Amino acid sequence: MRGLLASIRFALVAAGQNFTRNLAVSMAGVFTMGLIMLLVGGTLLLTHTVDAILNQQEAQADDIHIYLQDSLSMRTIADYEQRFAHDPRVNGVSFTTKDEAVLAAQQRGLQLQAAINTLGTNPLPASIDLHVRNLTDLGQFATLAKSLPVVDTSSGSATDYNPTVIPRLQTLITWTVWIGGVLSVVLAVISLVIIMNTIRTAVYIRRTEIEIMKLVGAGDWFVRWPFILEGVFGGVLAAAFGVTIVALAYHFVLETANARVYLEVGFDGPYLTGLVVLLVVFGAALGGFGSFLGVRRFLHA
Amino acid sequence: MSLAAVMPPQVGQKPDPGQRPVISFHGVSKTYANGCEAIRDLDLAIYQGDFCFVVGASGSGKTTLVRLLIREEAASSGRIFVDGQETTRMSRRRLPKLRRKFGIVFQDYKLLPKLTVAQNVAFALQVTRPGQRHLKEKVEETLWIVGLEDKLHTFPDELSGGEQQRVAIARALVHRPRIFLADEPTGNLDPDTSWGIVQLLLQINHRGTTVLMATHNKEIVDLCRKRVIAIDSGRVVRDEAEGGYLREGEATI
Repeated sequence: MRGLLASIRFALVAAGQNFTRNLAVSMAGVFTMGLIMLLVGGTLLLTHTVDAILNQQEAQADDIHIYLQDSLSMRTIADYEQRFAHDPRVNGVSFTTKDEAVLAAQQRGLQLQAAINTLGTNPLPASIDLHVRNLTDLGQFATLAKSLPVVDTSSGSATDYNPTVIPRLQTLITWTVWIGGVLSVVLAVISLVIIMNTIRTAVYIRRTEIEIMKLVGAGDWFVRWPFILEGVFGGVLAAAFGVTIVALAYHFVLETANARVYLEVGFDGPYLTGLVVLLVVFGAALGGFGSFLGVRRFLHA
Repeated sequence: MSLAAVMPPQVGQKPDPGQRPVISFHGVSKTYANGCEAIRDLDLAIYQGDFCFVVGASGSGKTTLVRLLIREEAASSGRIFVDGQETTRMSRRRLPKLRRKFGIVFQDYKLLPKLTVAQNVAFALQVTRPGQRHLKEKVEETLWIVGLEDKLHTFPDELSGGEQQRVAIARALVHRPRIFLADEPTGNLDPDTSWGIVQLLLQINHRGTTVLMATHNKEIVDLCRKRVIAIDSGRVVRDEAEGGYLREGEATI
């Protein structure tokens, strides 16, 4: 027991001493690793945020407005509302009056007052708004709308359906996820190579120490532990460095973006917490594994 | 100062009949990956309490012999026994225990420059016997044996070459090994300092430790009149109980 405690103490003290005695090399390693962590963390967070924005856009895109003629009675409109409400592909139905259409357009930043004054009447049609379950059904409703006798086609279209937007949005989401994923994997591989070489340099500086430990009869694990602990410590420090900058940048960018453009994407605390844990564990594992490989070379020399 | 005046030649110890050798080589060969045959079919027996000089030209196989003993290198063929244990087939896991039987010093001292003299010596115990009681006393006692009791807190680069080699000897000695290996320990030292180191090794041998010293130093070997094992091209060409650096009548160029 005394021997085990002394071994643990030795490994911890030696790891700390190794780190501080070669502070310049240690910090160079931590900084290199930290930069990689920053890139990995930044890529993951950026992918997540872009994905969230695109998903929100997609959620907003599953609405279709079927424009109605001005002369329709409320009873006719209610009949159509009922028919659409019973369609299993539809999640919800609502009615937008001409005045509400103007208000919504103004909220989107369109200036219609001048046009209304010139025309002397509201040019926007009332609409039945369908909230569909699947985006792919939007096209079928657009086709159906064209055949209805109550629709207003004066604007050139029976609905606000844009057949090119949805596929583009879906392609964009798929690409974002793929690019983010591939970039993270590439960065992780690059980081492993850089970290292994940085740690090898650090271990090379201490090759005499390893040689002496071997010669006097220290066991392989006794030689490895201080270096592995040092690697883990460096990895955690690097992760803390990377994650702090990523978190600060995330907070700043979101605040700035939300102040200028209404993104409706908030600060995702749980995701950031998960990312912190992931990067710290990743950094510790990478540092420990890199040290293990670095020492292995000298142990087996 | 003459070496002979400092320490007169001594008669080598002869093994008791039937005594088991502490080190034995049986038909050992070592060929490196590049095809270099460093040791060829070597047979050798060294007994407890022996003091042996291993002599030979550079590249004759002296260092390979030392490295084979501590299993830094694996023999290509043949069998090596240390303290009755065959080391040639020993697993990596058991090597640390084998190496604790040895105390080893090299020409280049291999001291840790950022540790003091006492810390360098203590290091050997800390990494092999963690939690060792009376560590400080053992370190101080060993440094007293090598004559450096007043240099406990000095750093290696503040010491002379001879003193640094003494620290290396103290580090090799602190765990009280059965066998002491010295690979060219005087290679970087002037004659007087070299003789001081050899005297120290003789003292260690007088305390019962087997000493094997690979050297080029003709004067020391000739003065000590100890067992001499001469190696040439990986083969033992001479093994004399009380020999000189060269065979009698043999001349150097």
